[in-house]
Amino acid sequence: MTDMIIQLLAAFFGTLGFALIFQVRRKLLFWTALGGMLSWAVYLVLDYILHTIFLPYMCAAVAAAVYAQIMARIQKVPATIYLILALIPSIPGGALYYTMSNLVMKNWPQAVSDGKRTLQYALAIAIGISIVWAVTQIVERVRKSLHRKPIG
Amino acid sequence: MEQVKVAIDASKLVHTLLDIGEEMLLSGAEVFRVEDTVSHIGNAYGAQRVNIFVITSSIILTLTDAEGRDWTHTKRIEKPAGTDFARLEKLNELSRECCAEGLTLDELERRLQGIRTVHPGWRKYLRVYFGSALVGFALTIFFGGTLLDGLMGAAGGFFVCFLQSHLERFFPNRIIFNLVSGFAVGAVICLAARILPALNEDKSMIGDIMLQIPGIATTISFRDMISGETISGALRLIESLLWATALACGYMLAIWLVG
Repeated sequence: MTDMIIQLLAAFFGTLGFALIFQVRRKLLFWTALGGMLSWAVYLVLDYILHTIFLPYMCAAVAAAVYAQIMARIQKVPATIYLILALIPSIPGGALYYTMSNLVMKNWPQAVSDGKRTLQYALAIAIGISIVWAVTQIVERVRKSLHRKPIG
Repeated sequence: MEQVKVAIDASKLVHTLLDIGEEMLLSGAEVFRVEDTVSHIGNAYGAQRVNIFVITSSIILTLTDAEGRDWTHTKRIEKPAGTDFARLEKLNELSRECCAEGLTLDELERRLQGIRTVHPGWRKYLRVYFGSALVGFALTIFFGGTLLDGLMGAAGGFFVCFLQSHLERFFPNRIIFNLVSGFAVGAVICLAARILPALNEDKSMIGDIMLQIPGIATTISFRDMISGETISGALRLIESLLWATALACGYMLAIWLVG
């Protein structure tokens, strides 16, 4: 449990650091960092229940994208700002590192399995974002066509 | 007389639109957002049609003016895209104002120049350095490092920031830069680990890799591809894979030689 809290806090401050590097306005700093923490919280909970790689990562990305859409609507800023920062904790930097360090140590089987893990993470995130993107597009189009009818 | 004036304005408009597009791309906007915004502004200034095609390395724009003449210009984008969300927000605001209230073209150009030529003052550097050190520290802890590893990660983050903001311009491209900067940061951490045996150098290195890895470019590239911008997405994906590979090679070299 303490491990989880430390990790969540670290996710918050890690995202905050990136928000500073990317010159996010001061008013938005807290909310962008919160996005990174929330998305990672979703991952931790699902990982605890399911013990698989793919689904928790995908849901973390879905959570990040949904959060980005909501915050973008509320604060009238481009959703990218929130999306990119909320995904920071999910970037598979650790998996990538172990892949290459195993390559250097010539631990071939371990390197292959770490490499596969890295790819799975990346794919899960991509699919997660795409799902939300597709759904928001469809909803928006349906809403537009519903709005148009009574006028035209 | 009147026709000449219109001609000059259309040509000026095309140039301004290309500048806005470039500026958005370099601030971290997705391709579809750039295409969307530029088309909207073009229409707001009375263009009959705006045809725009954006990839990460160039923009092609054809604008049909009120008289039905076509104006085509191409812009080659040579700098790799960075991320500056303050600038992106300002550009977003500017385009909104353009479409809602209708600025004159001169006013638009002046405002754009204002956004482009903001000097990176000490405040910006302070944020970037502090942010990098914070990322190095927090993400080292995030990946399971101890407090000592975190501090090493913060020092490494500071070093990464120095390399990125002052030395990158001396390198011909980001592949070479990532190779060299990966090696430099990896070597420093490996050396520190020789002096301080309690240091888990892998954790600190992971924290700093997170700063240098093109994770964001990769994410955007998938987004581009899914939203139908296949070419830009593929281009960005390959680019970021090359950058990541170069970075990994730099670190591998450091582990192999120094670690």
